[in-house]
Parts: sequence; C-alpha cells; structure tokens
Amino acid sequence: MSYLNVKVAEIEQVTEVVKRFSLVDVNGEKLPSFSGGSHIVVAMDINGRTHRNPYSLMSSPEKTDSYNIAVRKQEYSRGGSVFMHEQITVGTELQITYPANLFSISKLGRKNILIAGGIGITPFMSQIVDLNRLGTEYEMHYAYRSPEHGAFSDQLIEMCGEQVHFYIESEGQKLDFMTLLAKQPLGTHVYVCGPEPMVDALVAAARELGWPEKHIHNEQFSAPQAGAPFKVKLAVSDIEIEVPSELSMLEAIEAAGVDAPYLCRGGACGQCEVEVLQCDGQIMHNDHYLTDAEKNNGKKILPCVSRANCQNMVIKL
Amino acid sequence: MDRQYWIRSKPVYTSLMWHEKATAHCVIAAGDGGMEVLKLLQQKYPAQPVTGFFAKNQKTLKDYSEVISRLAPDEFSVFANEDAAIDSLRNFLPNCYMGTRFYVAGSEAFIWSVAHELANFGVQDDDINKQLCGTLARSVYCVHCKTVTHDVTHNIVECSGCQRNLFVRDHFSRRLGGYMGLMIDAEEPGNVPPIEEVYP
Repeated sequence: MSYLNVKVAEIEQVTEVVKRFSLVDVNGEKLPSFSGGSHIVVAMDINGRTHRNPYSLMSSPEKTDSYNIAVRKQEYSRGGSVFMHEQITVGTELQITYPANLFSISKLGRKNILIAGGIGITPFMSQIVDLNRLGTEYEMHYAYRSPEHGAFSDQLIEMCGEQVHFYIESEGQKLDFMTLLAKQPLGTHVYVCGPEPMVDALVAAARELGWPEKHIHNEQFSAPQAGAPFKVKLAVSDIEIEVPSELSMLEAIEAAGVDAPYLCRGGACGQCEVEVLQCDGQIMHNDHYLTDAEKNNGKKILPCVSRANCQNMVIKL
Repeated sequence: MDRQYWIRSKPVYTSLMWHEKATAHCVIAAGDGGMEVLKLLQQKYPAQPVTGFFAKNQKTLKDYSEVISRLAPDEFSVFANEDAAIDSLRNFLPNCYMGTRFYVAGSEAFIWSVAHELANFGVQDDDINKQLCGTLARSVYCVHCKTVTHDVTHNIVECSGCQRNLFVRDHFSRRLGGYMGLMIDAEEPGNVPPIEEVYP
C-alpha cells in the first residue's frame, strides 16, 4: 500500500476527551482531494509495534492544504487514542493512507437526514460541506451526553444554520427515531454514525417503517477485541504466525512482514476478507460486513477486527 | 434462442406481495395487470392505508375495470387510459412519505413509465415490486437513430425511425424503458435471419 507522509500542524483540545489534529503534507504540498464522509488510517508506532486506526476526515473537501481529524480518548483504548492524545505534539510526523470513502452521500437522495452520536459527528462535518455545495436538502441531528461534550456545535451552527438540531442527554433531550423518520418525504435517505446501540436502534426504526435498505446508511468502525492467543498458518505464504492476545489477526500478519490488503481496519469495508481453510475452534466475528449466513458458515474472516477461539487456523493468504 | 447467457440489465419481474413493513401502500396497474390487483386483494389486506390506480388498456382482451371497481376498496381509482392514471399518480406522490411501498403491474412499457415517475421522487426501481402482465412485447431503441419502436413482438423489427432491420437484444435501459436494437444486416445488407415471434 502507498502512504502519505504528514506532520501535525495544529492540535486543538475541543472537549475534555476530544482533540482535533490538523495534518499537512511534510513537503508542504497539497494533499489528495477527497469526498465528504471519507476516512484515513493513521499509523502509529507504539512500543515498537505499528498500530493503525481509522479516522474520518472532518475538514472541508474543498480545502486540501490540510486534513483535520478528531480523536476521542477512549476509556477502553487498545492504545491508539491514548497515544494520539498523549504522545502526539505539533510537528510529529505520521504516515496515513490515502482517503477512502465508505460513507458517501447518495446522489439519488432528494433529502438527507444525518444523525450523529458523540464523536460520530466527524464524517458529517465534511459531508455537510458537500451537501451545502450541491444544495441538497438535509437535516443534521446531533446527540451527545452533556453540554461540555458537544464537540464542534458552534461550527455546525455556522455551517448548517437552522438545519442542525442538538439533543443533550443530560438535559433529558431525547432523539426519537420513530418520530423523526415517520413523516419524511419520498426519496429521503438517512445516515447514522455513532455508538453501536444508537446505530442499531436507528436501522431497526427505519426498517420497521418500511424504509428500503438502500436508503439506510451507517458507518461503524469497530476496534479489534483482545482475546486468547492462537496460531495462524498462511497457506499461500507458507508461514505460521502466533496471534497474541493484545494484537488483531491483521496486526500479527503485518508484524510477520506480510503486506496483507486492508482499507478501513474497522470491519466495515471487507477489503481484508480472507478465506478460512481450516479452524479447530470458533471464529469470533466482530465485523459489520459479512452476512449472518457467511458468519455462520465459517469460511471467511475479516482479520482487521475478528479473531478466533481456537488453537490453529489456516487461511488462504 | 440462446439460453447460455444472462444479461444483467434485463429486469426481473416478480408476483406482487404486500410488504409487511410499511407505512402505506400504493398499487399502480394497467390492462392485464388487473389480474395482479385481484390477486393482491386475495392476500391478507394490509393494516396500513392503500391507494390504487388502475388504467384500462384497449389492447388487452379482458377489461378488469368493472370487477376492480366493484371489489377493490374506495381508495382504488379506475382510469380510462394509462396516461390519466399516471397523471393522477404524479399528483399523489408529493403527499407520500418514506415507507410507502409501490406495486406496479402491466406491460413493460407501462411499468417503466411508472418507474420513471417514481424515480423523479427518489424511489429506486429495485424497491418497486414489478410484475409483467399480458405481453412480453418490448420497446426497442435504435442505437443508430435513437428512435424508440413500441410493441415489438419479434426478434427482428424494422426501426420506425430509420427503417433499419434491428435485432432486439436483452440489454435494457431503465431510463428509456426499452431494449437495445441494432442493425442485423450491416455487414451484408439484405442478409436478414428468419424473423420469428419471440415476445408475444
């Protein structure tokens, strides 16, 4: 894979737990253009190990002299978000992937309902720039825990005017999905990004109301879960590796020097999908990409977020 | 007929069945599509509001308009022709909400003129339950002069625009609601294979 070399130009403490990082090309060149909803993967060197996390680009697609990402410090971090918060300073050089978009606005939509929970606001920041440019009707619904957690709300008011609505949980303001979706005109699309229970509830409400699947869009990046160590044989490369409990399968494969394909590293895009030839235990699927049938079948795995409760696995890689 | 290949653009039509998850239902049928409306009415009637548009078609043998007006609920309107039904549908769509499910039955030309109206309101054709009724007759657009020839029942047809002999392919345009037709005797003028009825 090819990478972009960037350095941190600016860091802003947005809320108690969210920092915004502005990244510029190390040689001062313009960065590649991207569309609203795109993300990049940031590589971090943590104690000699390369750790890669996906982050949505939240700056304007019209300005590519820098990329902005926002990172929430996770309570149960595997190290990535804490590293971003504690080790990165202005001037730090980082490697990032080219932007990829798994959450683009459908051009067939006549109206768009955007729903964010907490840090899930980030992909919408760049989508809104696109929507404003296209002149497509939209509503931004942003729910967060308490007033001090409402990252970027001033900027949203500036960008969206009356089209933005805030729901502050600590003040008892609730976003009711059934009411929101019940009376939307034909051709409306809904986009949701936020914590898993929120995404699941939105998707369930839209389905219950008979919204077609193609009108329901969500972006969820899972983090890989720790688990019991196991051995993986790469049948094509003919090497055997050990997946330790704190590394994902993909990270262990990369640590062995194998350049395996990937894109989102969050179980959303399916780029890293690999065929399982043998497994003497249970695959623990943690992605949002494979169908339930494929998960039950046990012939495929997304090594970026999934692992197995087994001794030995053989994959076609 | 070559059965060894499948053209992916060729639409797949299926029987009409009420969707379980919906906020409203809208049925649009014409001509022989009346039979599909009657079949729908024999299924368990949905709890959500239903609106129906049925158009007579002079070309079909059986006229279902009398039996539909008698059996269907008041929300079904019967129209003298397809254009009148589509005009009425166009006025109805701005009041529809997401969750309205669409069911269309009739000739292929009728189905795609309805799909075209729905597309203007952001309804994607994959989400329309479509059933082809009565005839397999195709609209054929000429790749040479762009004229569309209607009601084509044979494998080869003379283009109504440029009089070329067009071979009717399975490649379908959702925008035009018709199949691709291209000159069969371009290399050897006059060498036209047997002309047979294949879309009765």
